[in-house]
Amino acid sequence: MRGPVPARTPWWCRGFDLLLRAFPAAFRDEWGADMRLTFAERVRTAEGAGGGTPWRLLLREFGTLLSGGLHERLHSNARRFQMVQLQDIRYAFRLLARSPGFTLLTVIVLAGGLGLSTFTFSFLHTAMIRPLPLGEGDRIVRIDPMVRGGMEAVDVADVAGLRASLATIRELGSYTGREVVVGRDGDRRVVDATVADPILFTVARTPPLFGRTLVAADAAAGAEPVVVLSYRTWEIGFGADRAVIDTHVALNGVSTRVVGVMPAGFGFPIASEAWLPLPAGTEAETTPGLQSVRLVGRLAPGVSHEAASAEATMVLRRAMAVRDTTVQREGLTVAVESFPAAQFGEERALVFTVLNLLAALILLLALVNVTNLLLTRANERIRETAVRLALGASTGRLVMQGMWETVILAVAGGVVGTAGAAAGLAAITRWTQANMEGNLAFWWVWRMDRVTILAAGAFVTVAIAVLGGIVARRVTRTNMREVMQDGSARSGSRKEGRLSRALVATQVTTVTVLMFFGVLSGVVARRIVTLDPGFSTVNLLQAGMEPAPARYSTAAARAAAFRAVHDRLGAHPEVDGVFLRRTLGNRLSDDGRFALRGSPSDGVLPTAHLRAVLGTLPTMGIAVVEGRALEEADDDSRAPVAMVSRSLALSHWRGRSPVGDQIRLAGVGDTLRWYTIVGVASDVPYGNPLSRDRSPDAIYVPLLQSDGPFAAVVIRYRTTEVAGREALMDSFGAVDPSLVPDGVQPQAEILRKAGLLATSVSQLFGACFAFALVLAMVGTYGLMSRSIGLRRREIGVRRALGASDAGVTRLLLVQGGRQVGVGTLIAAPILLVVGLGFQHFFPISGWLVATAAVLVSAAIVGLVLLATWVPTRKVLQVTPRDALWVE
Amino acid sequence: MRPIEFQILLSLATGERHGYAIIQDIQARPDAPLTVETGTLYRALQRLVEQALVRPAEPRRGQADDDDRRRYYAITPAGRRAASAEAARMASLVDRARAARLISGDA
Repeated sequence: MRGPVPARTPWWCRGFDLLLRAFPAAFRDEWGADMRLTFAERVRTAEGAGGGTPWRLLLREFGTLLSGGLHERLHSNARRFQMVQLQDIRYAFRLLARSPGFTLLTVIVLAGGLGLSTFTFSFLHTAMIRPLPLGEGDRIVRIDPMVRGGMEAVDVADVAGLRASLATIRELGSYTGREVVVGRDGDRRVVDATVADPILFTVARTPPLFGRTLVAADAAAGAEPVVVLSYRTWEIGFGADRAVIDTHVALNGVSTRVVGVMPAGFGFPIASEAWLPLPAGTEAETTPGLQSVRLVGRLAPGVSHEAASAEATMVLRRAMAVRDTTVQREGLTVAVESFPAAQFGEERALVFTVLNLLAALILLLALVNVTNLLLTRANERIRETAVRLALGASTGRLVMQGMWETVILAVAGGVVGTAGAAAGLAAITRWTQANMEGNLAFWWVWRMDRVTILAAGAFVTVAIAVLGGIVARRVTRTNMREVMQDGSARSGSRKEGRLSRALVATQVTTVTVLMFFGVLSGVVARRIVTLDPGFSTVNLLQAGMEPAPARYSTAAARAAAFRAVHDRLGAHPEVDGVFLRRTLGNRLSDDGRFALRGSPSDGVLPTAHLRAVLGTLPTMGIAVVEGRALEEADDDSRAPVAMVSRSLALSHWRGRSPVGDQIRLAGVGDTLRWYTIVGVASDVPYGNPLSRDRSPDAIYVPLLQSDGPFAAVVIRYRTTEVAGREALMDSFGAVDPSLVPDGVQPQAEILRKAGLLATSVSQLFGACFAFALVLAMVGTYGLMSRSIGLRRREIGVRRALGASDAGVTRLLLVQGGRQVGVGTLIAAPILLVVGLGFQHFFPISGWLVATAAVLVSAAIVGLVLLATWVPTRKVLQVTPRDALWVE
Repeated sequence: MRPIEFQILLSLATGERHGYAIIQDIQARPDAPLTVETGTLYRALQRLVEQALVRPAEPRRGQADDDDRRRYYAITPAGRRAASAEAARMASLVDRARAARLISGDA
């Protein structure tokens, strides 16, 4: 009997079934059958109603099925992906929680590397690159003429021309720094003031906290003297009293009205404590040589520093050529730079790059160590990985699981490290504000900012990429069959060994460079801290003296002022010795050149530190070795005389006395006069202690025979520092009430501050390098231990075949030595560059650099061999049988 | 709430219905704004079931005019509350539109 003939499925039902496949299987299983019923009923009803195939309905249905299905599939995949990722993240957290020691160690190492990199980058960025924290601060520039690499001030005679001609720089204004005494009698305070064109406040785009800023009318001839106070001056000097506005204070003895107070943290242009108007007539001055100023302005929109610099150079050269054709200023350029950039000079980019590279090396060291830890862990789980692969887990899934572990570790390390960097930046700000008060550029406020957070994010991303890449590589290269057949959890393949050796070599290179840099930095810091100034600093006070050019416009007037201050101080009962000096030239620059009369010249003139002096030489530790000392009577009315230091005499007058010979100070442009040497002085080192030009080669000439706008006044007081300061104030004031000793500081304090900075920097470096050293020691041991552990079976075979313990130890030590050799070879050219760099910047001899390189390399060799020997001993304690058969 | 979801809840508010009945009910409304396709209906039903606003009802067997393979759907108490809230929101919107004279008073 034949059963009922099944009705033929209509084509549109088959089409529906086909398109239903666009939906995910789960959806189809749940809803598919009911959908089909509904669809069929709907089409049949439409057929019945219309009497034919409902094409429009079918088209709409099929279109909706396809698009809805794909949409559902996309969402379903995304949901499934999220679920899988969530599972993997949970799994990674569980794995990390299962090994708290490993997790903690890894996070600490990563936090150290990431934190140091972030801290270094942020510190240098704030100090050198970050635009001024003022409105459109990136466009505010300094305009500095440069002659043969040295920065010079602008002659006021050139300002009007520059302002009229420069199209690339707007709102050009001039300013100059001056210390002024605020208050009278016993309640006086010296503040660093900026005497500025009122446009300075327009450039700064900063409104006052209250009151007003300087305006053009304040600079007009005959205007009432006014002053704007910084927040700090207002707080310290006026007790933060708002009623200070419109009161009168004495500034250098002149009654001056306080018109405004600037907000906290504002010290534009650098560290100003008060602002006074630059008389309008100053910038209208056309006679050159009367006064010099600094220039500030804003770049026109879209103009680069380079374009502005090129234009300013052209304009200034043209202006100088027009007004004085006799002066040839070869190599004159005009630097147009941001204030932070100008503060650090030409070496800014080099310092920024080198220090960031060092920080990056520490990060690299941290990454090498964490890589080793992760690989050890991956090795321990290699069997589990192989089993999961065998059960059908995809490589991608296993890689993602490893990645999540890395991401969690790197993010945790990044968060801890960034928090540490933030604490470090805050500490640096606190420290500098406590110890460098008044000398700190107003933009040097270190804190977490957007750039720092971005940098931290970038470092964490690099860490994730590097560590994740290596972990992924390890997973993808797992040979399931080999691992399962081997029955061992180690699977010490040849490739594995190569990676291990590469890590050791990288570690050796990195730590060698870091240690070398650390040792040289330590040597430099120690030299600064233990610097011998060449004289006793007990009871020594130093101040600056700069007679106002308007009042002392001739060389004779200036010489008379210096002599009068010298005489007043000399006669003061509180003063034991007085000494005035001015630096004319330095040994490593062109201005230190001198010529010897009668000496054949090959075109290259010798150089020395050139100093103009007045007063008792023993005050500065200078004794007369031969001939006579320079005297007060040696002024412009007498023949020019000079003294030379003993070391200069020994190098240029070998075997004979220089007394009676004549020299000419070519470097300072004094080419008309011959100075007769009348004496030889004992050696005192001069020059920046951080620079290679520190040397006792010196020539002294009388201050009264060498005109100049300023001098440093040094006195040795008899009783107390306060009495010494009063002696300075009284003596300056007695000569001229407008004369104020600038920046009075004890010599010991000046040296202490220089030493303090060096000590702090060396401590900071010390901490960084100590961290690097600990990382290196622990890391090298870990790497060697792992590397030797991988060869446990091989060592067992060798010993089973008769190799002696000594032979195996020798073999492993030689192989360890080979890895050190490779690392040291790679490090050698870097050491050379670092060594030459140090020699370029600091007074360090070549042999010292070479010795440091050898000692550091030897220490690293010793460290690696020790790190090889210890795990070797451990492996040798296992019997060959156990090594071969025991897991 | 999407318009199709509200329309389904509205349809089920008066009683259990199968898929095709829901489509018919929606499209039978004088102001039916939608052309409801099968795919659209069931994707919306899935969302409503996931949100527990609708539940599959017990299958009806033995009724002559019915296919026992059909699944019926019923509104849940949560679905009823959600539909009420949505309707109130719409009524409020209508009131505001009326106040703004966007529609006439008897619209």
